[in-house]
Amino acid sequence: MIDVEHLSKTYGSTTAINDVTFQAEPGEILGLLGPNGAGKTTTMRILSGYLPASHGTARVAGYEVHESPMAVRQRIGYLPETPPLYTDMTVEDYLNFVARIKGVAAGDRPTKITSAIERCNLQEKRKVIIRKLSKGFRQRVGIAQAIVHDPPAIILDEPTVGLDPRQIIEVRNLIKNLAGQTTVILSTHILPEVSMTCDRVAIINKGRVVSSGTPDDLMLQLSGGMRYELEVEGDRSYITEQLQRVADLKELHWLAADELPEQRHRLRVSTETNADFGKQLAAALVSEHVGLHEMRRVGASLEDVFLQLTTEETAFEAASEPIQTDPSEQAEETE
Amino acid sequence: MITVLANIDAIFRKELQGYFKSPLSYIIAGFFWILTALFLVLVSQQVIQYATQNDLGRQMGQGGGAPLDVPTLVLQNFLSVMGSILLFILPVLSMNLYTEERKRHTLELLATSPITNWAVAVGKLMAVLVFVITLIFPIAMLELFLLSAAKPAFPLQIFFVGHLGIILLAAAVLSLGMFISSLNDSAIVAAFLTFVLVLVLWILDFLGQTVGGAGGEILKHLSLLKHYTSLTQGMLDSSSVVLFVSYVILGLFLTAQSIDLIRFQQS
Repeated sequence: MIDVEHLSKTYGSTTAINDVTFQAEPGEILGLLGPNGAGKTTTMRILSGYLPASHGTARVAGYEVHESPMAVRQRIGYLPETPPLYTDMTVEDYLNFVARIKGVAAGDRPTKITSAIERCNLQEKRKVIIRKLSKGFRQRVGIAQAIVHDPPAIILDEPTVGLDPRQIIEVRNLIKNLAGQTTVILSTHILPEVSMTCDRVAIINKGRVVSSGTPDDLMLQLSGGMRYELEVEGDRSYITEQLQRVADLKELHWLAADELPEQRHRLRVSTETNADFGKQLAAALVSEHVGLHEMRRVGASLEDVFLQLTTEETAFEAASEPIQTDPSEQAEETE
Repeated sequence: MITVLANIDAIFRKELQGYFKSPLSYIIAGFFWILTALFLVLVSQQVIQYATQNDLGRQMGQGGGAPLDVPTLVLQNFLSVMGSILLFILPVLSMNLYTEERKRHTLELLATSPITNWAVAVGKLMAVLVFVITLIFPIAMLELFLLSAAKPAFPLQIFFVGHLGIILLAAAVLSLGMFISSLNDSAIVAAFLTFVLVLVLWILDFLGQTVGGAGGEILKHLSLLKHYTSLTQGMLDSSSVVLFVSYVILGLFLTAQSIDLIRFQQS
């Protein structure tokens, strides 16, 4: 349904996206995951026909976005990062206007508008002026705007950003309900969103697709290794030194531990090959008199995959000799 | 073709509804009506006074000119005053045409819908022009009421051509103002720049006289004031109509280009 091949976009000398390739099958929800500034919005803008690409092709329902822009525009619904709302109109008037410029025939408009309003749960707000709506409702109007003409493909740029947890759940359910009949591409930098809503994920970093697959696939890519979460007491650099003596330590990541008393830290360590890692880890810490409060084995999460693929700076701030994890190397490994 | 018309209609209706909901348009309408009605009274009073003196002078054998055509003088002077008032109001009307779209991020909606930039621009221009006609209409009725008192009956052709002139003038200024409003986010800057541009176009006639020669002739011909004045005198000159229409098309064309440029520049 959506077919992006070798898409690149440069602004002057800056490269926003570089050789991006991905596909979305009919009826599936594809998540574009990446840190801010990774090129998600640029990719979506090219797909929606808003921006021209520098190189490569993007096809929606078989139409190339640059060659047949009008055909593509009829077949997509697009929600930009900021919902494009005429705030002085009522929800119904606004949707009526959008349906008109999207080319919905006059006879079909009332049913399509009602259906969009129902799907987005906006029945009570039908006659309300958009200016008076809360942010969550505005976002829903934005989604209603994208689906009012029943397009085969919907592009949603950060649909849950800035919403409260309850609104986020509502919007996610709404998106899930769209799947099956409609292809949805959504971008986000929020990880749980992807595992909760998307059938497939493409992780974008610095303008490139560094990995793609189902959320489970991506997690499996890392589950070959073993990881432990520790809560320890003592000097950070001393602890780092002790941990680095353990064979095959691959990653060491200090976690936020604001709620803990001073000198207590929480961290995550992992290995890929050492089967006795846990035993050796505990022995190393205890024999060197590092206070060990907690130690548990954790499964790889999508967050880990994401961090590995996209983190640039080393996670070992306190370490005297930081262990480097090179993101580009790993990106190639996982591709 | 039918879709293009339907799109223009969709934009036109949306914009027009916007004017009815915006407090600014009511303020502008109130201001315009009070000011123009006041000037209608003042202008006709002065012309009548002047004509009376002229008649008295003639009767007392002090010479004076031929009898004055009072209704024509009233209409011409009033239309030129109304044109000047509009010069201040039109930039305020055109300033929001695209700056609002930019601020609300709705350009992205328009640019990703199956609708051309031209259709959007034409729809917007038609709507704002209809708003201006709504402003002028009651005043024109007042003028007609006043002129109906004239004996012998006042030739309506001058009235219609004069008002066609003011509508053409408004269309030209609004079209150029629309282009300027598409250039930046600030409505105030757009209004100011439009005002400056219109002022320059207005006084090109004087500039042309100072420059002289062939260049001066060209400048004179591009002047809004010169062509507006000739229309208010009831002369339906095709060159004037062509000039105003050219300004309208130029504004539309530049607007459509500038919207494409915004998209291509945006990061």
